[in-house]
Amino acid sequence: MASALGISPDRAFREELARRGAASAMRCMQCATCSSVCDLVTVDSMFPRRQVLWAQWGLADRLRGDASVWLCHQCNDCTARCPRDAKPGDAMQAIRALLVEQLGAPRFMARLVGRAEATWPILLGLPVIFWALFIRSVNGFAIPRTPLVYSDVVPQWMIYAVFLPAGAFALLAGAVGARRAWTAWGEGASRSGGLLRGLGAVALDILLHRRFQSCTAARPRRLGHLLLLWGFLGALATTTLLGIGIDVLGVRTPLPQLHPVKLLGNLSAVLLAVGVVWLALNRAGNAAAAGASRAFDLFLVALVTLLVFSGVGAELARLWLPAPAALAIYVLHLGMVLSLFLTFPFSKLAHALYRTLAMAHERLTADQGRKP
Amino acid sequence: MERVGVFLCTGCDIGASLDAGKLEGVAKEGGAIHFQSSACLCSGEGLSALRGAAEAGTVDGVVIAGCSQRHKVEEFRFDPSKVQVERVALREQVAWTHPPGHEDTQALAEDLLRMGIVRAQKMIPAKRLEEEIARTVLVVGGGLAGLEAARAAAGLGHSVVLVEKSGALGGHLAGVREVVPDSPPYGALHPSPVPELVRAVQGDAGIRVLLGTKLLRVSGQPGQFRVELEGPGGKEELRAGAIVQATGARPYDASKLGHLGRGSSPDVITAAELEPMLAKRELSRPSDGKRPGRIVFIQCAGSRDAAHLPYCSSECCGTTLRQVMAVHQAWPEVECAVLYRDLRAPGQLEHFYRAVQEQSGVMLARGTVKGVAPAGDRLKVKLEDSLLGENVEIDADLVVLATGMVPNSADGEAIRQLRDAKMRIERNESETQVKLNTELAQSLAHHEGTEILNLAYRQGPDLPTLAYGFPDSHYICFPYETRRTGIYAAGALRAPMDPAQAAEDGCGAAMKASQLIASLGRGETVHPRAGDFACADFFLQRCTACKRCTEECPFGSIDEDAKGTPQYNPFRCRRCGICMGACPERIISYADYSVDAVAGMIKAIEVPEEFDEKPRILALLCENDAYPALDDAAMKRATWNSWVRVIPVRCLGAVNLVWINESLSRGIDGVILIGCKKGGDYQCHYIKGSELAHKRLENMQETLTRLQLEADRVRVVELARNELSRIPALFDEFAGKLEELGPNPLKGF
Repeated sequence: MASALGISPDRAFREELARRGAASAMRCMQCATCSSVCDLVTVDSMFPRRQVLWAQWGLADRLRGDASVWLCHQCNDCTARCPRDAKPGDAMQAIRALLVEQLGAPRFMARLVGRAEATWPILLGLPVIFWALFIRSVNGFAIPRTPLVYSDVVPQWMIYAVFLPAGAFALLAGAVGARRAWTAWGEGASRSGGLLRGLGAVALDILLHRRFQSCTAARPRRLGHLLLLWGFLGALATTTLLGIGIDVLGVRTPLPQLHPVKLLGNLSAVLLAVGVVWLALNRAGNAAAAGASRAFDLFLVALVTLLVFSGVGAELARLWLPAPAALAIYVLHLGMVLSLFLTFPFSKLAHALYRTLAMAHERLTADQGRKP
Repeated sequence: MERVGVFLCTGCDIGASLDAGKLEGVAKEGGAIHFQSSACLCSGEGLSALRGAAEAGTVDGVVIAGCSQRHKVEEFRFDPSKVQVERVALREQVAWTHPPGHEDTQALAEDLLRMGIVRAQKMIPAKRLEEEIARTVLVVGGGLAGLEAARAAAGLGHSVVLVEKSGALGGHLAGVREVVPDSPPYGALHPSPVPELVRAVQGDAGIRVLLGTKLLRVSGQPGQFRVELEGPGGKEELRAGAIVQATGARPYDASKLGHLGRGSSPDVITAAELEPMLAKRELSRPSDGKRPGRIVFIQCAGSRDAAHLPYCSSECCGTTLRQVMAVHQAWPEVECAVLYRDLRAPGQLEHFYRAVQEQSGVMLARGTVKGVAPAGDRLKVKLEDSLLGENVEIDADLVVLATGMVPNSADGEAIRQLRDAKMRIERNESETQVKLNTELAQSLAHHEGTEILNLAYRQGPDLPTLAYGFPDSHYICFPYETRRTGIYAAGALRAPMDPAQAAEDGCGAAMKASQLIASLGRGETVHPRAGDFACADFFLQRCTACKRCTEECPFGSIDEDAKGTPQYNPFRCRRCGICMGACPERIISYADYSVDAVAGMIKAIEVPEEFDEKPRILALLCENDAYPALDDAAMKRATWNSWVRVIPVRCLGAVNLVWINESLSRGIDGVILIGCKKGGDYQCHYIKGSELAHKRLENMQETLTRLQLEADRVRVVELARNELSRIPALFDEFAGKLEELGPNPLKGF
């Protein structure tokens, strides 16, 4: 009994979880119906029953050191079958929300995003105001020619001046969180290789969303999510190619409509638009299977929707709307991109980071046999 | 009866299976003065012929050869003071279960008819007892069950005397403000119903409440109990018709729970000790008077544990959930943890359990508590076998042990044994006697002075107990019934239960008491032979005072005078016939049922000669379970051996060994007795009957061997009511065994 584990009804921790949607999990009576329908169960880890127990018993460290909460795609098969309506799927989501906040650095940013239900006007509004002020201070919104060319008003250097530091911040903050998580998971497990090997091994799983395929209750979500992933990857590729084109090859924007990079960008935009609408409709129409929608979820849905539609809107408005209106939409778009960069390590989007890492970690500790 | 008529029904396949003409011949030969055949005896036409013959006085005994006695009961009911009825089950035991037109089938029917005629001839009309019956219900114990019993009995129009030993009503719940919900909303505590119930009982003109009162002696019999009391106002005597005993339970002795920290720190208390703190809204640690920051509740403290209470008290989980909720509501800052092995929240209590789980600062953890030890000024509780598969520790400021309940019953049989042993020690007849009785008295010493009812019964002053010290009350078929007719057990005395169940129990027991008083008013006994009014007759001139009947009556109906002569109390009697089965002198009989009647039936069986190779088997079937199972097997058209002749008996305990002697000496090849399950989870409707039959037959086997008869010729079988599919195989297998043994060597003597 020397190494007995101390447990307590840790009120603060439980209330933190409850605020994020895990109140129902306290009803769990540990029947393990959830585990019997979950693909993540291993011989010696009853997921998610065990994680719910940790939550009930106030074992925050256990949850932090456990990669499997990140492997959960919240397919909600467990929630659909729970006889006590404890909603284990929501509990896992709440735990992830709490962990995103706890792992995030700097702390005040993590707290700010973690309370999106109250802070969303700041999170979405400040970047837009920043851009508006920035542009006004540089050129007073002067529109030199029509049709409008955005780079006349917002030249390349302004883009770089804002997004390079913002991107660096996102990368750095993400790296800090990733390191914390990776270290915590590594404490109780021996990994058979380094991070890169793990990432290589799971890349195809992620790109094809293979894990999603085993879900039943949340199956409709897979396609929307896959479209979004590919849309974001496409958008990333477009931006990179465009940067190279402008800075190295001296290409001038706007590109002709049939330029391959333009086509790639437009295709990505379509994927993103369809994907986000798909997910939003799924969430609205199929609430039980999709899980509870808390501020943590809705903030990201709103951000991506605004981002995608302001992007597409800016592209179309340049041709068809009066220049000031088009410019306004463009500023909104810039603001959303900035918001995305700055909130990435602290919002739900951080799952892209932690889940990828968790899948790599799992691959490297593959001695735990998966349920047949 | 002298003028017995036989009424044959040829409906339901009987006519097609049997030769009615031959049956008429058998009836006439058997001495029937009247024979009538009907294509459907239960039709209007058949019944009017039957009733006509009875009303005209042509016949005073009626043998109905048709369906079993369990069917068409109303159609074939006659005034028992005028006409005696015997039913011969030609449908179930012959037509439906044996090949039609076969000579063995016909022989079976003829035997059964002969047996029925003899039985009818040996019946005489019984006299109804008409005595004054007290309508007062005495309720012993003023807790929730007793209060409900008193209110229910008063509501049924009885005058009620409620006797409570302590100075106040309400029992354990007297100080409890709120109870677990038994009606919506199920997620919240409800105000205790007890104060209102106490007011209602105290304000009821039909209920006399006697506080601080004890029972000195209860004598007599149901309907005529003489109750001697002693209270603050002195001694008093009153009459009661029935008694409801609701003396409840007490918490298990926590001093035996050292392994759960009891005694190691004053901060390890019991659930009962927490109760006054909740009632007074003063939560403090006994050690330093400070309010605890965290309370750990340990469930099954000494329960479901072979070394303590082996059973689940069923109420402690609900009590703990209630206490946790009460603590949480009064002191939200106090954390509560419940450590349980299995949290048992039956029925709607599940909702409350969920509501408790959802409280912030409340935690429930499954596992086995392996120790509670002081650590500084706190306590450390160790939990093994937790759901994490790890050993777990939790710090506590106060530990509450949810102890189980021990019934407040006294074992009348043990107390009598103790008294007898002491008497024998005093008599000092022989050294061995004194030594044996001293040992016995020591082993029973804990029963000294535990009497509650103080019954003046030969079999002891209180209710006999069964498992774990609870009164022997047959909980499957007859809840509230005990082995003392007219005394009903209710509440936590009867079985571990929660307050809601106890309230219901009190009401149920009161209804049984009321039913009994009404039955006694008609001179009738209560179930399972409800409606029977024929009492046992004792032909005392021939009694040898062997005391078998007084010892073996499961209901303690028979007392003894100083010489050991039985003194029968008809209102205690349930008409099971166990005394009739016990009596070696065969002096006990009923007007409509006697040793002689059944012996006559056995004699009526025609036993073919040895060279006919037609063995005969007598089957004595308990009419409570085995006989109905046989009827059901017939209903399903099971078939069985045609050598078997069935006689229903009131209980296997009512089987007098002389019947078996008679059978074997007449050349019947084997006797099979089929009755209810015996033992700790008995199904015997008279509790001890089946057990006694087994014991008596064991003794008989020696006699058989002495007579050069194989012991295998007599067999006793336990059969449950639903085991009808076993019946054909039982008969066939027994018949096979008898064929192996060869014919009864006494055939033809």
